[in-house]
Amino acid sequence: MTKAKAIPVIELRNLTKHYGLGDATRHALDGVDLTIDKGEFISIMGPSGCGKTTLLNILGLLDRSNDGEYILDGKSVERFSGARHARIRSQQIGIIFQSFNLINRLNVIENVALPLTYKGVPRTKRLKMASDILKNFHLSEREYYMPWQLSGGQMQRVAIARALVNEPSIVLADEPTGNLDSKSSHIIMQELSDLHKRGNTIIMVTHNPDLTTYASRVIHMLDGQIASDTKTPLVLEKKHEKIPLSSRSKTKATPKKPAVKKERKKVKKK
Amino acid sequence: MRVNPIEDIQNAFQSLKTTKTRTLLTITGVAIGVACITTVLSLSSGVTQLVSGQVAELGGNIAVVRPGAPNNDATILTGAISQQQYVTSSITEQDFIDISKLDSVESAAPIMVVNGNAKHDNTPVKDSVIVATTPALAAISQLPIRDGQFIDSVTNTDTAVIGSQLSIDLFGTDQSIGQRFTIHGQRFTVIGILKNTNNPINFNNIDFNHAAIISLESGKSFNQGISQIQQINVRAKDAKTLSPMIEQVTGTLTKNHYDDHDFTVLTGDAIAQPTSHFFSAVAGVMTAIAAVSLIVGGIGIMNIMLVGVAERTREIGLRKSVGASNGNIVWQFMIESLIISIIGGVVGYVAGYGIAFAISTMVTFNPAFTWQTALIALGTSVAVGLVFGIYPALRAAKKDPIEALRQYH
Repeated sequence: MTKAKAIPVIELRNLTKHYGLGDATRHALDGVDLTIDKGEFISIMGPSGCGKTTLLNILGLLDRSNDGEYILDGKSVERFSGARHARIRSQQIGIIFQSFNLINRLNVIENVALPLTYKGVPRTKRLKMASDILKNFHLSEREYYMPWQLSGGQMQRVAIARALVNEPSIVLADEPTGNLDSKSSHIIMQELSDLHKRGNTIIMVTHNPDLTTYASRVIHMLDGQIASDTKTPLVLEKKHEKIPLSSRSKTKATPKKPAVKKERKKVKKK
Repeated sequence: MRVNPIEDIQNAFQSLKTTKTRTLLTITGVAIGVACITTVLSLSSGVTQLVSGQVAELGGNIAVVRPGAPNNDATILTGAISQQQYVTSSITEQDFIDISKLDSVESAAPIMVVNGNAKHDNTPVKDSVIVATTPALAAISQLPIRDGQFIDSVTNTDTAVIGSQLSIDLFGTDQSIGQRFTIHGQRFTVIGILKNTNNPINFNNIDFNHAAIISLESGKSFNQGISQIQQINVRAKDAKTLSPMIEQVTGTLTKNHYDDHDFTVLTGDAIAQPTSHFFSAVAGVMTAIAAVSLIVGGIGIMNIMLVGVAERTREIGLRKSVGASNGNIVWQFMIESLIISIIGGVVGYVAGYGIAFAISTMVTFNPAFTWQTALIALGTSVAVGLVFGIYPALRAAKKDPIEALRQYH
């Protein structure tokens, strides 16, 4: 989407990951080559066990590949130490899980502020930033709720807010709507596509073919390899009815603020 | 990225609050151990302080000569110290006379404890102590006379000064001047009664409330005319001349004993040490028991932390996925175990002093507040937290974030 195609956000070269030894070796990833540019919304599809979650884990630096190269923002991260990986996770990657993974004993705003702790942001500033981002997700009124007091959709929106609070360069989502009913799923996907429009790079793993319509690029995986890679025109505007913001929370709909200010301009130009 | 330790502490308190009962029980475990240590240490240092306080009160110019070579403190626990009570004293009357003559010595008094009981109407008083000495003892050890007088150079050898409690034990009254009692069949007349002092533990190793003080001559008569001196109290002219005096005393004794160092000259706190030997032995044993209970408390911490780590596997996975390094996770759990152990330490320290004061109502000395005790209580609790917290913390940090996140509640 940008002319300067100089540095892709992610570049994978012959990435391999296998489990087990000898005869029992199973290739979760079998030589994956992939280049992801800034601002893409990628949907990874495929049957169970095709390696899509493994790929996502490696992209999120939660796992290491056995072979091949992973270049994130122009830097090969394969040989970095665990502590360096942690720092990259803290600064460049936001992860959204199927099961939300909110910490039950922390309230909403503390959950959202959690990633900032590991960035060394002082508490007051942290809560301010968390509060700001929660406003974008129409959860301002829920700031001091505990996770169990929220609906599934609300929890996932909190989790998305948490993934975005440290302004990551990529957002990884592992079946973000897997635990939600269709209406909540729709809202979550709306949020993700809004994020995408604000210039965030999103990589989403999903089983649900319907959801791929939100993506700008759909990758099908099979047996640890990329089977197909299609760039789709943005069709979501046509295909999906806009759900009014007011239904997402009881607050009056407020105009959305961009999560990442710098990137909004680019999007507007486009 | 390093996390501000204050945040770690806030976070630890928050997570400990969610498991209150468990945390409180674990704290109790540590507190009991620390309380044991604090009680033992405060009481034993109370004893030491009591005696050294007495020595200091006497003007800081007192030295004490005791038989036997200077020995290592450690022998109290291993050596057969009780044998010394039966060996013949190496200090002779000649030593006493020579010391008295030294020009730096203001006065000196021997203490010879005679084996036997004071007896009146054929009923012996079991816990009486017969002390044979010279008139100078009254001044050196500051024995206050309540009635009558102390033995002096002109009093007869068959007179005695007795402690007020002994007077009551013997005669049923503390007004017993002129009364008579017997020691080994020999009759003594009471010519003075000591004021009741409530310090049975002192550098003379004699409870003067129960003592009958007789002249050295009489004491010798119970021992075939030979003196058996357990201790010589020597007083310098003033505190400044104490150290030259000790040199002189040591020189004289070395000459008298033909270069054999079978005596010890003690000053200041060192005088208190033999008294507190027994207590330090008891304290040693008690501390060992307390240490065992601390280990049990520590295992409690480890147990509870391991449970916490297992329960919060998902939280650990999540924290890692949002950027926590292994170090962050280790710290998070270490601080939790440190908080448990430090609170346990503080509670135990306070409780330990409570117990010590309760005990002190039954004994004659008070627990001492020393910074060493506080330091040991705090130090051991921190050590327990570190030692028993490190394994659960490392286990938490080692968790694979993928596995951790896959685990459902």
